[in-house]
Amino acid sequence: MIQVNNLSFSYTKQPFISHMTFSVSPGEIFGFLGPSGAGKSTLQKVLTGMLTAYQGSAMVNGVECRKRTKRFYEDIGVDFEFSTMYEKLTARENLRFFASLYEKKPRPIDELLEMVGLERDGDKRVSQYSKGMKARLNFIRALLHDPALLCLDEPTNGLDPTNSRMMKDMILAQKARGKTILLTTHNMQDAAELCDRVAFIVGGRICALDSPHNLIMSKGAATVTYTWLEDGEHSASCPLDRLSADGKLKKLISENRLQSIHSSEPTLNDIFMEITGRTLL
Amino acid sequence: MRAIRAGFLQMLVLMRRDMMLFAACLTPVLAGLGIRLGIPFLEAVLTGWFSKPAVLSPYYALIDIFFAMLSPTMFCFVPAMVSLEEADERTAAYLFVTPLGRRGYLAARFGIPAAAAFLVAVVLMPVFRLSPLSPGRILGLAAGGALQGVIIALLIVTLSSNKLEGMAITKLSSLLIFGAAVPFFIRDNAQYLMSPLPSFWIGKAVFENMPFYMLPAFALSAVWICFLLRRYLRNI
Repeated sequence: MIQVNNLSFSYTKQPFISHMTFSVSPGEIFGFLGPSGAGKSTLQKVLTGMLTAYQGSAMVNGVECRKRTKRFYEDIGVDFEFSTMYEKLTARENLRFFASLYEKKPRPIDELLEMVGLERDGDKRVSQYSKGMKARLNFIRALLHDPALLCLDEPTNGLDPTNSRMMKDMILAQKARGKTILLTTHNMQDAAELCDRVAFIVGGRICALDSPHNLIMSKGAATVTYTWLEDGEHSASCPLDRLSADGKLKKLISENRLQSIHSSEPTLNDIFMEITGRTLL
Repeated sequence: MRAIRAGFLQMLVLMRRDMMLFAACLTPVLAGLGIRLGIPFLEAVLTGWFSKPAVLSPYYALIDIFFAMLSPTMFCFVPAMVSLEEADERTAAYLFVTPLGRRGYLAARFGIPAAAAFLVAVVLMPVFRLSPLSPGRILGLAAGGALQGVIIALLIVTLSSNKLEGMAITKLSSLLIFGAAVPFFIRDNAQYLMSPLPSFWIGKAVFENMPFYMLPAFALSAVWICFLLRRYLRNI
């Protein structure tokens, strides 16, 4: 679906994106994970044909992005981080207009509104919508023409937990329908939950690329921490894969003297910090 | 073509909901009526008052030029305001990643309105003219006026970031059309100080009855439009 080879881009004389190479398969959710200003949104702009003055190659649906035509956008749905609707128009009027731009027969507007729980608000002006409602409306606008590729920029940013959950479920539902999804985020929990693979981007470079599970497992083993009472409370830890070699733990178990025991895995954020030396925010 | 048509129709929807923009489209007709009926009446009053054979009539051709530029300016003011709103709401950025794209957007917001302004000017000028106008001159003035309208629209969207600023820039940029008056009032070489303005050459072409001078007007308009388009696309 997407083939990027040795991609570089710069706004000034300084390179902003440097020598990126990766590919995304059909039906995959691929995440760009990195702090603000890392180059994630710029990369999405290249892949959606908004920035064409790049070096290297960026192919989407078999089309080199700098040579895109109108047809290119028939199969791409974009959801920006911010609302991009006509505020004075109703949701239904907005959706009708954007649907009219495509050659394809659009998906039924009522069905889409119902899908995100906006069926009763379809005739309200967008200016009267809450942030969560606008985010949901933006999302279904990207689905109007039933594109094969969805580019989502920070889809859960600023949403309350309920709306965020709803958005993530909608993204997973689109994956189940076979869509390829490019997700740009600095939220490592979203990335770990949604993405099949993630690319860590810092300073315009890909520092690591793998599935969240593999990244977590390859860089840091899970540890087990346990506590017991012996002239006060004590605690000790050992790696999960060396549990049987921990004599103290064995002894405590055999004597039923454990106060508590729990395992902990490093998060994607921990791995990100370990690899890049930076935090995500 | 489908996307461009839809984009243009959307602009009409937005215009219909804004009384100020709707009224702007009626301005050429109202101004035409005022010119056609008011100026000859005023001339009759002034010639009687000053006991002179002519007061305003030597400048009828200049008034015709201003009218030729008024329709496009008003027609291009509307899409400029709509574009400012779209930039503000970021719908313009979204439209660039639809089949409309950048070129389609520019065609829908500036190309079609300029073409419509040209046609309106061609229709209105024979009705409201004050001086004799040949078909060639009508076409030339309408084309020059349409390009002037595009320049003013691009100045508005390039130099302002919201509708309020856009109104102020509209007033300022409309001054550009007064370049047409310079050949009528300044006869020596000082008039060429205004030569970077396309309107100056339109005025010169009419005043000296030299259609050839329309060529620099068109060429300069192209330069202005290219320069402003680049600025606009970089900003948006």
